[in-house]
Parts: sequence; structure tokens; C-alpha cells
Amino acid sequence: MSDADGALHAGYESLNRRRTALLALLALGILISLLLDLQAGPADLGLLDVLRGLLDPEHLDLRRQIILWQVRLPDALIALAVGAALGLAGVETQTILDNPLASPFTLGVSSAAVLGASVAIVLAPVLTPLPEAFTLPVLALAFALGSGVVILLVVRAGGAARETVVLFGIALVFLCNALTAALHYVADADSIQQIVFWTIGNLTRAGWTEVWIVSACLLLLLPFSLRDVWLLTLLRGGEAQARSLGVDVAALRTKVVLRSCLLAAFAVCFVGTIGFIGLVGPHIARLMLGEDHRFLVPGAALCGALLLSLASFLSKALLPGVIIPVGILTAVVGVPVMLGLLFQRRRIP
Amino acid sequence: MTRFGSPCLEVRGVSAAYGRRQVLFDIDLPRLEGGSVLGLLGPNASGKSTLMRCLSREMAAAGGSILLDGHEQRGIAHRQWHSRVASVPQSPPAPSALRPVELMWSTARALALPLSDAQLRERIDATFAALGLRELALAPLQTLSGGKRQLVGLALGLIRDPQLLLLDEPTSALDLHWRLAVLELVRKRVAEAGGIVVAALHDLDLAVRYCDLIALIEQGRLVGAGPPQEVLTPQVLARVYRVEAEIRSTPDGRLGIDVLRPLSDGAGLPHTR
Repeated sequence: MSDADGALHAGYESLNRRRTALLALLALGILISLLLDLQAGPADLGLLDVLRGLLDPEHLDLRRQIILWQVRLPDALIALAVGAALGLAGVETQTILDNPLASPFTLGVSSAAVLGASVAIVLAPVLTPLPEAFTLPVLALAFALGSGVVILLVVRAGGAARETVVLFGIALVFLCNALTAALHYVADADSIQQIVFWTIGNLTRAGWTEVWIVSACLLLLLPFSLRDVWLLTLLRGGEAQARSLGVDVAALRTKVVLRSCLLAAFAVCFVGTIGFIGLVGPHIARLMLGEDHRFLVPGAALCGALLLSLASFLSKALLPGVIIPVGILTAVVGVPVMLGLLFQRRRIP
Repeated sequence: MTRFGSPCLEVRGVSAAYGRRQVLFDIDLPRLEGGSVLGLLGPNASGKSTLMRCLSREMAAAGGSILLDGHEQRGIAHRQWHSRVASVPQSPPAPSALRPVELMWSTARALALPLSDAQLRERIDATFAALGLRELALAPLQTLSGGKRQLVGLALGLIRDPQLLLLDEPTSALDLHWRLAVLELVRKRVAEAGGIVVAALHDLDLAVRYCDLIALIEQGRLVGAGPPQEVLTPQVLARVYRVEAEIRSTPDGRLGIDVLRPLSDGAGLPHTR
């Protein structure tokens, strides 16, 4: 009898140890990807220069110091922060809505950000005293947060039923897309091109301010996510079980949707819509780490960061001298991964 | 089990409604002391699950009172209530990639049960062993049969060592062996340790075999409550369940129910609706 006892818990412990090791591996992967990302680019700045320049900036000449510290480092770090924010928001949204295809984007947050950005671009002549570098992210953020508020109101009014939230989110996506299309219709060719370019998603717009803002948002919200990991794990056993245990599922859903909307809004307002990170990052984490949210929540953030960092590296490394907008790469990588996951889901009854 | 002394549950005049549709009318149950098992019986849609939801506090009763140890249910702090009362819903844990052992840990930790890791390990072991789940403890729930998942749901209730255990159709997906074994286990674990069990059941034979008291409800109203032999008579079964049945004493002194045939609507007593 005690043998069997031992076997059960040894199995559980080894599962936990393997997952801890996988988290460490992801962190290591991020470090490697960050260095790759930093050494890639049109300017001549190799891996050794990057390492030396990071430890001792004086080692590099001024031009390369500026390239490393003012161009490449903010771009590489915003990739990590945005990727982690989207991964975290995605995993929590999927669990709380019990829907593998849910993400803050299906809640309309990014469509609203696109609408906000479009308004900023089209109204630029009217808003002349303010620089577009300021109005664009601010309006994108305002619209994204606004859509978050609307979703939260629906969550509360509808008794937090998950179908209501998902359906309303999709309706919101269509509404924002329609309004953006209306703006396209009245905008001149130049503005349309700008809107399209913003929609693709691009990391090269970011500076240190943006890095700090997105990181602060992530670091402020992460502890709240980590505090709810047992509850989120419990929820994977089904809503009826959680309710019978006295878990206030409606209150938890409101909290999680609020967190996800905030994370997604701050993540996309500076870099544009980055497709699929919030959807695919959590799924890869689920496949690697299972459903125990003690590992899954940090794992999804790490997967999101790693994916976007790798995409950022590839965007500079694929075509020498050309920087492909990272949003294109994440979508091109994301679609096959998502299809693969969908087919795998179908095989499991 | 004796953390709070022997418990006592009183249910008086409970009514409940979904919106404007009233589904429970003035339900009184016998006063339940520690060690007793009450079987809640009734045909489909009679209000059993609604009453279970009111007892578990998942749903607020529209009227009447539910008292645990003399204290009104709604006056007891949420966390304290759920540390003393475990409710096992009719639907088993969802078939996700989560593993039973992970569900046990997350349940215990999300509810902040005052157990060390070592104590919790021991209790998870004992519970899984008793329910024959040890070999499946690390298998994803989506690979388990409905019956096994129902046993996992039961394990989630037992892990908490409750004073009041509420079971909604705990045997609906189980095979013959586990139907008996589960109720035997519940009697042994909870009732002998001084807890109270209330179980909504469909199976009359199980009810008379394992329950000290029976409460029979029909269309939201109490038909009768008390020892099985007092509540379950051929006349009552004909009226409530629309079956013709014979009731006898078995050699070991239990009540035996032989259901002979269903009665058509016209043949039984007047059937409303």
C-alpha cells in the first residue's frame, strides 16, 4: 500500500519538477533569443559587440552605443514585454471563458485599438498641435480601454455568463471593424496606408518610455494573476465544480477580464496589432506545461515573450537590410500552429 | 470531523424560485444530527437539485430557513461555511487535460484547507485509494470515463472532511459495484465520524439500503419525510412515481422494493399537468 502511495506522489512531484525545468528552459530560451535579436539588424554590431556594449557601453563608439542602447535594446525589450503581456492575457482569458479560441483580441480590444489609431491618423490635420507620435498611442489606448469597459459592463450585466461575453466580444470586433472601414472610406490614400501599416504591428516604433510603460503594467498585474493560479486551475475542472466549492465564478471572471483588457490595451497601443501571440503562446504553454496554472500562467507569459522575441529576430534576419513588420511574421507563424492545435484538439475526445 | 462538535442541520419552510417560476414550496426536513444520512427522493424535475443548491448555498432560498448548528446559513461567513460543508454537484468534473491529483491540490489550496503538504498528500492518497482512483490520479480527466470522473468529483467532496456532505445524484454514472461501494464509503467516512449526509437519489433501492431517513418531494412540495418504511408505501409510489410496486421486508431486516410495472397516466391517481 505504501508503495502505491509513493508512486502517486512521486509521479506528481516529478511532473512538477519537469514543469519547473521547462520554465527555466523557456527563460533560457528568452535570454538567447534576446541576444540574437540584439545582434541582428542592418548596422554592423556582432554578438560580441552586443555583450561588451551591454556590460560596458564605453567600449563601443558613440554611433554603435546609440544603435544598441537607443534602437535595438528598446525594440528587443518591448518585444519581450508585449509578448509576455499578450501571453498572460491570453491564457487567463482562455481559462476564464473556457474557450480555446478566446483571447483579448476576440473580446474586441485590439479592434478598438485599431479604430483609435485610425481616428488619430485621419484626424491628424485637426489635432495638429499634438504630435502624432503622442495622439496615436493615446487614442489607441483610450479606445482599447473603452472597449474593455464596455466588455466589463456586459460581464456584470449578463451575470458573467461566458457565452454572453464571447458573443458580445465578437460583436464588438465587427462594430470596430465597420467603423474603421468607414474611416478608410473618408480618408485619403496616405492615411489609409498609415492605418494599414499600423494595423500590421511593428516593434520599431518603441522607445524606452514605451518599454517602461508596458513593463510596469505587466509587473503590476502579474502578482494578481499569480494569486489566482489555484482558482484558475480549479476552474479547468468545470464551472459547476467551482461553484459547488463556493468559488464566486462571476467575480473571478470580472477580475480576469479586467486584467486581460488592461494588458492587451497597453500591449497593442504602442506596437499595433500583433496577431496570434495571445492565442498561440498560451496554447504552446498548455501543451508543454499542462493545466496546472501555477506553471501555465508564468509559462504562457514566457512563451509569448519568446515567440515575439524570435519573431523580432527573424524580422531583421530573414532578408538582409530589410526589417519585415513583426506582425506579418507572427501571423504567418501563428496560423499553421493554430490549425495544428485545432486538428489535435479534434483527435482528443 | 469533530472540529466543531457534532453538527445539526435544520431545514424549515424553504421555498425557492427561478425568476417568477416557483419550484419549491415550504419544504420542511426532519432535524438531522451528526451521523445521519438523509435520502432526497422524487421524480424528474421535482425540485431535488434546487433544494440541494439551496442547502449548499449555491442558490439563495426565497423563503424559510436553513440552520447549521442553530446558525442561519446566510449568517455564517462564506469561507467558514465552505470549510464545513462540501457539495458534490450532479455533473462530474469537466473532461479537460487537468489531472485528478492536480484538481485535488488546487481544490484544497484554493479553499485554503488548513493542511500541511504532507497531511494533504496523505489525505489525497487515502481518498483516491478508497475510490479506486489511485492508478488514474495522473491521467488527464479527458481520458477518464464519465463514471470515473464522477468518482473524482466525489473525492473532491471527501478530501475536505466535511461536517455536512451534500451529494446530488452521486451514483448516476456508476456501475453496480461502485453504486454500492460509494454509498457504503460515504456512510463509513462521513456518517460514522459524526457528519451529516444529504443525498439526492433516483435509485429507491439504494435509498432504503443506505439512508436512515427519506424525504420525498413531488412538484416542489414535500410528500413525506421520515424512516423509509413510513414514507415509501405502494400508494405513495403509485402516486408520485406512477409505478406499481410491492414493498416487503428482506431477511436481514431491510426494506425491499419490487417495482412491477409503470402505470399509465389514466391508471394511477390523478396526475396534474
